[in-house]
Amino acid sequence: MRPPRRPWLLTAVATAVTAAFLLPVYWMAKTSLTRPDRILSPTPQWAPTPVTGRNYATALGYAGLTRALLNSLVISSGVVALTLLLGVPLAYALARVRMRGSGTMVLALLVAQLPPAIVLAAPLFILERRAGLAGTYLGLIAADTTLTLPFTVIVLRPVLRGVPSELEEAAQIDGCGLPGVLLRVVLPLMVPGVVATAGLSFLIAWGEFLFGLTLAGGPDVQPVTVLLNSFVGQHGTSWGALMATATLISIPVVCVFALFQRFIVGGLMTGGVRG
Amino acid sequence: MKPSPSPAARRRRAGYLFCLPGMTFLALFLAYPLCYNVWTSVHDVDLGQLLGGTERFNGLDNYRAVLDDPAFWHAVRISLIFTLGSLLLQFTLGFALALLFARPFPLNGLLRSLLLVAWLLPPVVSGTLFRWMLDAESGAYNALLSAVGLGGLGHDWLTDPSTSLAGVIFANIWVGVPFNMLLLLVGLHTIDPELHEAAAIDGAGAWQRFRHITLPLMRPVSVTVLLLGLLYTFKVFDIVFVMTGGGPVDATRVLSLYVYEVFFTSFRFGQGAAAGLLLLVVPLLAGVFYVRRLRREEDTPAGGAV
Repeated sequence: MRPPRRPWLLTAVATAVTAAFLLPVYWMAKTSLTRPDRILSPTPQWAPTPVTGRNYATALGYAGLTRALLNSLVISSGVVALTLLLGVPLAYALARVRMRGSGTMVLALLVAQLPPAIVLAAPLFILERRAGLAGTYLGLIAADTTLTLPFTVIVLRPVLRGVPSELEEAAQIDGCGLPGVLLRVVLPLMVPGVVATAGLSFLIAWGEFLFGLTLAGGPDVQPVTVLLNSFVGQHGTSWGALMATATLISIPVVCVFALFQRFIVGGLMTGGVRG
Repeated sequence: MKPSPSPAARRRRAGYLFCLPGMTFLALFLAYPLCYNVWTSVHDVDLGQLLGGTERFNGLDNYRAVLDDPAFWHAVRISLIFTLGSLLLQFTLGFALALLFARPFPLNGLLRSLLLVAWLLPPVVSGTLFRWMLDAESGAYNALLSAVGLGGLGHDWLTDPSTSLAGVIFANIWVGVPFNMLLLLVGLHTIDPELHEAAAIDGAGAWQRFRHITLPLMRPVSVTVLLLGLLYTFKVFDIVFVMTGGGPVDATRVLSLYVYEVFFTSFRFGQGAAAGLLLLVVPLLAGVFYVRRLRREEDTPAGGAV
C-alpha cells in the first residue's frame, strides 16, 4: 500500500485504539496496586495513588498460592519437554520421509484439534483414575500435551520442509543415520520454529484450566488457574488480592511473549491454532 | 547372504520409528479416551456402578435422555447465540483493526504485539478480570459510563439474567479480536498493492477500492478465519465458567458447561458421555470443511499462510 501522507496521525489512532482495548489489563495491574480501602468506590481512581504492595502480601498469604504457582511451572515445563520430545521427530518424519500413511497421520493430527476439551476431560477423568494417574503431575502433563502436540507438529512440518535436502543428503552420505541427521543438521536450522512451539506450548499449559479442574483432584498438583477460580468464590469482593493473583499469573505470560514475540507471532500465523 | 536394505528403505523404517512415540501417545491419551467415551455413552454408569464394575448396556437410552432434556436444548440455544455473537463481532472488529495495521506507520509492530497480549492471557485470568470490569458498584465500565454522562446505562451486567450473556460475549470478543486481526492482516499483506494503485489512478475512491478489491480478495482468508473462530468459540469453557458458572438461572449455560454439569456435578457419566459426543457434531462438520480447504491451499503455492 502507498505510504500514508500523515503516518503519525495513524500512530495516534492506533495508540488510542490499543489503549482502549487494553484498559482491562491496565485496570488489573492498577487495582492490584491500589490500597484495599480505595478499590471499592463508586468513583474509581485512574491511577493507584499511593502505590501499595499490600494486595500482593494478602494474595501470597492465601493458602496454596505459592504451591499452585510452582505446580503450574512444573506442569508447563513438563508439557514443553514432552511436546518437543514427541513432536520434533514426528514432525520431521512427516515432513521429510516418504512413507505410506503419512497423509493419514497429518489428517489425524488436524482432527485431533477438533474435540472440545470437555469431551476429552470426561473420559480422562475415569481412565486416569483407573491408571493411577489422577492427581499426579504426569496425569496433567499428559492431558495438556494432547492440546500442544498436534499443533506443534502442524506448525513444525512446513518449517522442516524448508530445510534444504542437500544438507541432509550430504550428512547421510557421510554415514549419519536419521537420528544423527535430525540432531546435528536439521535441529540447528529449525531453532526459530522450535522456540515458537515451545513458547506457545508453555503458554497453553500455563493457562490451561479444565484439565486442572477435573484431573488434579486436590491442592497437591492443582495449577494456579484452578486456584484463581476458587479464590473468586472464596474472596469474591477482595478485588485487590484477586487482581494481584491474576497479575502474578499474567507476568510469566507477558515475559514469555516479550522474549519470543518474533517467533511466536510467526508460529501463530503458520499454525493458527490454539487449544 | 541377505542383501542389506536400500538407503530409502532404511530411511523409511527410521521414519516410522520417529512417528511411533508421538502417535502412540495420542492413541493412548486422545483416541482411546474418545473411544471409551463412546462405550460409556451406551451404558448406564454412575459413580457406584463405575467403582463396582457393574455398568449395564442400555443402547441409545442416554442419547434419548439427553435429547429429551429441555436443559440440553436451552444450552444449544445459548451456545448458538454465544457463538454467532462472538464470531460476527470479533471478525468485524478484527477486520477493522487489520485494515488499520495493514498501513505502515511508526510503532505499528509494537502496538500490534501489545494487542496480542489480550489473546494470550489465560482465559481464567480474563474471566476474573471481566467480572471485575463489569462489577455493578465499582466496575470500570460502569464508572466510564457515568464519566461520559451515561450513568443511567450503568448496570449489574453479570447478575442480571437479561444481560449476563451479553457480558460473557463481550469478554469473549475481547479475547478473540487480536487473533482475528492477526490472521486477517496476513491476508491483507498478500494483496498486491499495485491493484490499489491502478484503481486509484483510474479514479476509484477508498470505499470503492475496499468494496471491489479488498473484500473479494479477502474472501478465502475470511472463510478460514471464520471457520477457525467457529471451532474455538464453540469450544469455549473457561471464560464462561469463571465469569458466571453458567448462571444466573442458566442464562449463560453453553453446551460445554452443560456437559460439565451432567458429567462432573451430577455424575451421570453415561449421559455426560452421550452429550459430549453430540457436542462433537459441530466441530466435526466445521473440521471437514477446514481440512478440505487446507488441503486445497497446500496444493497451491501461495496458500501456506493460514
